[in-house]
Amino acid sequence: MKKYKRYVLQIALWLGLVVTAHPVLAQDAVIGYVKTAQDDANLVVDGKAVKAQPGMPVQVGYVLKTGKPGSLGVTFRDNTMVSIGPDTEMVVDEYLFAPAKGELKLAATLVKGTLQYISGVIAKLKPEAVTVKTPVGIIGVRGTRYVAMVEEVQP
Amino acid sequence: MTRPVQNCALLLASLVLAGCANQSYVALLENDDGTTGKVQITTPYGSTLLNAPRQATRIDGPSGETYIATPEKLDKDFGVAMKAGPAKPVTYLLYFDLGGSTLTPESEAEVAKILDAIGTRSVPDVSVIGHTDTVGDDGANEALALERARFVTGLIAAGNKIDPAKIVVESHGKRNLLVPTPDNTEEVRNRRVEVTIR
Repeated sequence: MKKYKRYVLQIALWLGLVVTAHPVLAQDAVIGYVKTAQDDANLVVDGKAVKAQPGMPVQVGYVLKTGKPGSLGVTFRDNTMVSIGPDTEMVVDEYLFAPAKGELKLAATLVKGTLQYISGVIAKLKPEAVTVKTPVGIIGVRGTRYVAMVEEVQP
Repeated sequence: MTRPVQNCALLLASLVLAGCANQSYVALLENDDGTTGKVQITTPYGSTLLNAPRQATRIDGPSGETYIATPEKLDKDFGVAMKAGPAKPVTYLLYFDLGGSTLTPESEAEVAKILDAIGTRSVPDVSVIGHTDTVGDDGANEALALERARFVTGLIAAGNKIDPAKIVVESHGKRNLLVPTPDNTEEVRNRRVEVTIR
C-alpha cells in the first residue's frame, strides 16, 4: 500500500505541475460538457456549426442548436442540466461559477424550441443570478425543474 | 354578463389556449426528490409565479393566468427534450486525518466506489474540491486543501476511468466549512474532499 501511495502522490504532483505550467489551459473556459446528442445536434461556435458529440466541452457564447429530429443535453460545472428537443436554438450568454469568490451567474437565451432546465448550485446559492431569456419574456428560477417552449418569432 | 357566464367564458378561453398546439409557455415540474420549486416569468405584460407541479403559463400572452398542463401534453411537447436530459450528478465526500493527506480508513474504502461511479458514465467529468478544518492560518489551509484535492485526483487518475483533463481541481481552504466551528477547531467532517461526478 505504501508503494502504491507514493505512486499516486507522484501522479498528483505531475497533475499539479501540468496545471501550474499551463495556467491558460482551455479548462478555465470550459463551463460544461455535452452529455447527450442525438441526430441533428450542433454546437455553434463563432458562427460555425460543429456536430455535437457527448464529451465535447461547452464555453460561454456557444449556441446549442438542433434540427428535426435532434436533441442535445449539457451538464454545467455547477450541476445545472439543460436539455433541448428538436428545432431548438439556445445561447449560453453568461456563466460564472466561483462560489468561493461569490461570483455566480447563469444567463441563457432560448431563441426557439423546447427546453428542460434542472437547476444546480448557482440557483441554490443565488437564485436571482439565473435567468433564461426568451423573445417574449424572462424566466427566473428557485431550485427547480421546468420546461419551456418558445415558438419562433417571425421577423 | 352574469358571473357564472363570465367564468365559463374565461374557462373556455383558457381551455382553447391550453389546447392550442402552437404557443410559447413554461411549465413547472416536480424535482425527482418529489419537491417543487418556483419559477417567475416576467413579460412586458407583467409577472407570473408558478409554484405547483405542472402549473403552466403562456409567455406570449397576458400575465397572471395559469393552468395545469396534462402529462400527455407535456410528454408530447417535451418528451424528446426530457429524454435528452443528462444523468444526475453525484457527490462523494472523503475525510482525512488531522493535518495531512491521509484518508480515514472508511474514506479509503470509498475510493473504489467513486471509480465505479465514474466508470458507469460514458463521458464523465469530475470536480475535486479540497477543504480543511479551522486549525491553522488561511495560507496553510489553502495549501493543505489543495494537497488533499490533488492527492484524491491522483487516486482517481490512477483508476484509469477518466481523461485527467476532465478533472477540475480546486481548494476552498477553510472558507467553506461543512460543520460551522470556531477558529482553531479540529473537526474531521470539515477535513474533506468533495468529489462530484457529472
